[in-house]
Amino acid sequence: MNIQFKKGVLELCALALLAKKNRYGYELVNEISKNISISEGTIYPLLRRLKNDGFVTTYLEESSEGAPRKYYQLTEAGKKMGKELKEEWLTFVKKVNSFLKGGAKDE
Amino acid sequence: MNKKDFINKLSSCLGGIPVEERQDVINDFEEHFKEAMAEGRTEEEIADSLGDPKALANQFKANILVSKAEKTTSAINITRAVLATLGLGFFNLIFILGPFCAIASVLISLFASAISIIAVGIAVFLASIFGPLFPQYFAVLISPAVAIFASIGVTLFGILFFVGCIYLSKVFYRLFVRYIKFNLRIITGKE
Repeated sequence: MNIQFKKGVLELCALALLAKKNRYGYELVNEISKNISISEGTIYPLLRRLKNDGFVTTYLEESSEGAPRKYYQLTEAGKKMGKELKEEWLTFVKKVNSFLKGGAKDE
Repeated sequence: MNKKDFINKLSSCLGGIPVEERQDVINDFEEHFKEAMAEGRTEEEIADSLGDPKALANQFKANILVSKAEKTTSAINITRAVLATLGLGFFNLIFILGPFCAIASVLISLFASAISIIAVGIAVFLASIFGPLFPQYFAVLISPAVAIFASIGVTLFGILFFVGCIYLSKVFYRLFVRYIKFNLRIITGKE
């Protein structure tokens, strides 16, 4: 898939994953890279940007393995942003799909 | 590339951002390596799937410097932010550096005009006061009283113009930072 496509939806994926529960960095990377093949490191600059913009906050929590993990949590602004992006995405996909289906009918 | 190479490369490419922030970024990757190694992956595998540390460092730098420019308005901050986005690829040369140079040159020429108007006002003011004392150097074309009032008017106009330029720069600054951020969301690097 086109690389800019993937980049564009990365933010949406991260926000959607965080909407379900708070997650730590590696967990987020794993969840996303399981389904979308992308350089795993790219998620970290994205998370930092979301933090700088006040869409997520972070906190440390001890893990069962010992070392503390940095967890990411959506702020109110982050939740709102996630919802908006989701709506936009769904509308967009619906329209594109209707073109694709329409195209198939004509052939 | 093993963990040490990756972290070192990342760290050396992160020059120019505050030390705490750099350490924070490195901690995130240390944690990533730790978690991934606990799953039995090798250092080389992990580094490979993370991607090029230099490209990653460029993304961090652009994000950090742009949000710094957003928080603290200064010509240096915005210039550094613009330069950082250039590290993200060719597109930014056109979409960010181009508009940046255009806006900057318009603002600079407006400021220069304002300063020249103020300078002219002051020069005429001084000339109309001291001119009559040195008739051999100054040919008095209009009455000194008229010249004094006119020069004060011109100076005040210049100052007003200058203040207007400052206001305009601030507006452009804010708009431009928003524009860069919009670009960062779409074009986040070559990889």
